[in-house]
Amino acid sequence: MKENKKALRVLAIVCMLFLSLIGYLTYFEIFLKESVVANSYNKRQWEYSNNKLRGSIYDRDGETLAYSEGEGTDQVRIYPHNGLYSHVIGYHSIIYGNSFLESVYQKELSGNTHLGNILDIKNKLTGEDGFGNNLHLTIDHELQRKALDLLKGRNGAIVAVNPKTGEILAMAGNPIFNPNESDLVENWSIMLESQDSPFISRSLQGLYAPGSTFKLVTAAAALENGYENYTFEDSGSVVIDGMTIRNSGSRSYGALDLTRAFSLSSNVYFATLGVELGESIMKSGAENFGLNKNLPFNLSVRQSTFPYKKMAQTELAASAIGQGQILVTPIQMAMAASAIANDGVMMEPYLVSNITDINRNILFSATPKKYGTSVSIQTAEKLTDMMVEAVNSGTGKNAKISGVLTAGKTGTAQNEKSSAEGGNEHAWFVGFAPADDPQIAVAVILEYSGSSGGSAAAPIAKGVMEAWLK
Amino acid sequence: MDNIYSIYKPVRMVMLFNLLAFILIFFYEGNYDYSTLLWGLGIIMLIYLVYTLIRWKSWGDEYLFLIASMLVSIGLVMIYRLNPEIGQKQIIWFLGGTCLFFFIYLVFNAVPVWSSKRLYYVYPLLSFVLFSLTLFFGRRIGGAINWISIAGITIQPWEIIKLLFVFFSASYYKHRDSLKSLNFTVRGHDIQVKSIYIYGILSYMHMGFLILQREWGGALLFFSIYFTLLYIFESNVKFMLANVILAALGGLSGILFLSHIQTRIDIWLDPWADISGKGYQITQSLFAIGSGGFFGTGIGLGRPELIPAVHTDFIFSAICEEMGIFGGAGVILLYFLMVYRGIKISLKIEDVFYKALALGITVMVGFQTFIIIGGVIKMIPLTGITLPFISYGGSSLISSFIALGVLQAISSGKSFHMEDNHERK
Repeated sequence: MKENKKALRVLAIVCMLFLSLIGYLTYFEIFLKESVVANSYNKRQWEYSNNKLRGSIYDRDGETLAYSEGEGTDQVRIYPHNGLYSHVIGYHSIIYGNSFLESVYQKELSGNTHLGNILDIKNKLTGEDGFGNNLHLTIDHELQRKALDLLKGRNGAIVAVNPKTGEILAMAGNPIFNPNESDLVENWSIMLESQDSPFISRSLQGLYAPGSTFKLVTAAAALENGYENYTFEDSGSVVIDGMTIRNSGSRSYGALDLTRAFSLSSNVYFATLGVELGESIMKSGAENFGLNKNLPFNLSVRQSTFPYKKMAQTELAASAIGQGQILVTPIQMAMAASAIANDGVMMEPYLVSNITDINRNILFSATPKKYGTSVSIQTAEKLTDMMVEAVNSGTGKNAKISGVLTAGKTGTAQNEKSSAEGGNEHAWFVGFAPADDPQIAVAVILEYSGSSGGSAAAPIAKGVMEAWLK
Repeated sequence: MDNIYSIYKPVRMVMLFNLLAFILIFFYEGNYDYSTLLWGLGIIMLIYLVYTLIRWKSWGDEYLFLIASMLVSIGLVMIYRLNPEIGQKQIIWFLGGTCLFFFIYLVFNAVPVWSSKRLYYVYPLLSFVLFSLTLFFGRRIGGAINWISIAGITIQPWEIIKLLFVFFSASYYKHRDSLKSLNFTVRGHDIQVKSIYIYGILSYMHMGFLILQREWGGALLFFSIYFTLLYIFESNVKFMLANVILAALGGLSGILFLSHIQTRIDIWLDPWADISGKGYQITQSLFAIGSGGFFGTGIGLGRPELIPAVHTDFIFSAICEEMGIFGGAGVILLYFLMVYRGIKISLKIEDVFYKALALGITVMVGFQTFIIIGGVIKMIPLTGITLPFISYGGSSLISSFIALGVLQAISSGKSFHMEDNHERK
């Protein structure tokens, strides 16, 4: 019978499929497994060599952000504030491993570190063995909470820094995830496949077009290179090498000098200024603010890029207003603002201020470090004045804090999802306060929000700075 | 071999395996929990009882249940060792599955209505109702919306729909010549849709629902069943080619336009690129398989609990870690034996409905096994479906045993006695 013959062929095919499974398993066992099992993510290798209780993590005022309960291998990691620190502390999970600070400070938290070795002997003698070390962060819990609340669930990021030291005061972003083990288990595969990538820190890994906030860099380059008195007759749009550049709403502002152009965020003025400055000044200006360099930090930060090799006039014009191929991370913009706030000196950002053992003996203490000089002190002062002007009478009015001199710059960045008619732009705000004695610098971005930086991002930055200065 | 004292009788091997495994777990646990031994004894008795009953009543193929119970035993030992509590639940599911196996066996033989032409449209209708229920009331667990919750019990309807689909297909091949084609008139032109196209469209609708639920493995499984039966029973080469082209186009557009499928392919090609995120599960699975070596670490001595979803989709990796590649190969060979028995049963049947049904169920088990094992060892892209008879979970075990019950009933030959049973021994 014909059908039986075919059925036997099907049997032969299934047989071959199964044999191929066995064959692949054998091949894997003989040829592939060596390199596979040696991977550092194979926890069988670093199986708890000791059963110390994992250390806790605290904010700058001693608020507990993460702690462990239980004994030995039955420990449970508890995050009392759920998702609030999902992109700062991350998770520590028996099943999924570690992420963010839990991963970077695995040794210290688990107690398997040279730091505590001498004390360990003492602890063994006194019977106080069995505890990992604690991390003390520069984060302010209240400010962090406030920052996340201000985002109201919208996708985006907020980074707040102390410009004088580089301490990260708050670093929040959406979407978040709940790092507690049971929630991780329940939502893991959904989160993995989610288009929103909740495991990614927007603040550190998100690369965005900076839009008009980049005019800070262009203006700094102009000031440093003697273009302070550059003026241009702004008629609402300008054609550069065949490409038309328009102001927001095609408004024409007439004769503009640098300060007014900055405050009104004139694209026409800055595009022509960029062409005037030329490639090498624009590029070194951007690199002075840390683009094309790896920012040293406790967590890994993606490099902000100014990727041009040889620039055409149109590219110069676009990059001067923060469009084109320039991409920046929110933390980089926060550091740029803090450099201006700190007399032109960019400090190294950091998150972990102290590491202590169970008895609160300090094992490590961070000291503020200078990262580089972005601009001269004179330029920093002029930029500050321009940023104050932008908040007092320009596009950044919504960031004005009553009784406090506030400096800032808005940005509305077109991106791959924006159409020619607009929509989906990133709303940006970078700034600091008080302008005469800066205590906090912030960068705020709402991704694909479609609203302007002045209307959507500035109020958030105001809220964060106000909360800190109170 | 017929010596009553011989240990080499297959059923005694299965019993011995359970005895040794549960004694091992009893000692491994360290707290010498006697209930472990009781549960193990329960399984041994259950298997012996069922096997004896099948032989005594000569209820068809005596090896089918033995193979299944060996697979269940291996799964149970792994699950029990990972977590005694859910191991006990699985034992209760096994008991339930066995009862259902008998129930289905008896009902299937007692009321031979299954091949009736009237049911041809009832099967897909039932499937679509279940699918719609899942989509409307479904819960998303592990990326796919495939669970519904009834009175606190969550079930996966597509595990049952699998069987309805096989029944539907078998019913089509039985009645295809007498099935009416769909005739209607558009602007004076008479249009005739042949029954085979209606069958094809209904089949693809099943797969469409599964894609909506993001049950990619399920869609692939349905297509393999559909195409295998088409290959065996359909002589229209053009129609088959059209199906191949359609499937190729469907697969290609899935790869090009569905980001979820792209993600899975990216992970398959290079899980190491995102080892802490998207590649986590599969790399943990590979660590487990690699750590086991050829002979395994021994039951209770590995760390398979490090793999996410180890009880369900990744149980095979746990078996490889603790029972070795040889253990894994053994499991694969057991599935092969089951497929072999299934096809052997189908060869003797003249009646197209029962023949197609036996073949459909057999290839269903075979392909499902290949899809999930291939996935966890990274031979093919991973799609989360369960390993029949072994994975933890009521829906999976119950549907596997229903399928087995049907196959058992067909093998007894009693169900189509009235019609054309030439092959009864």
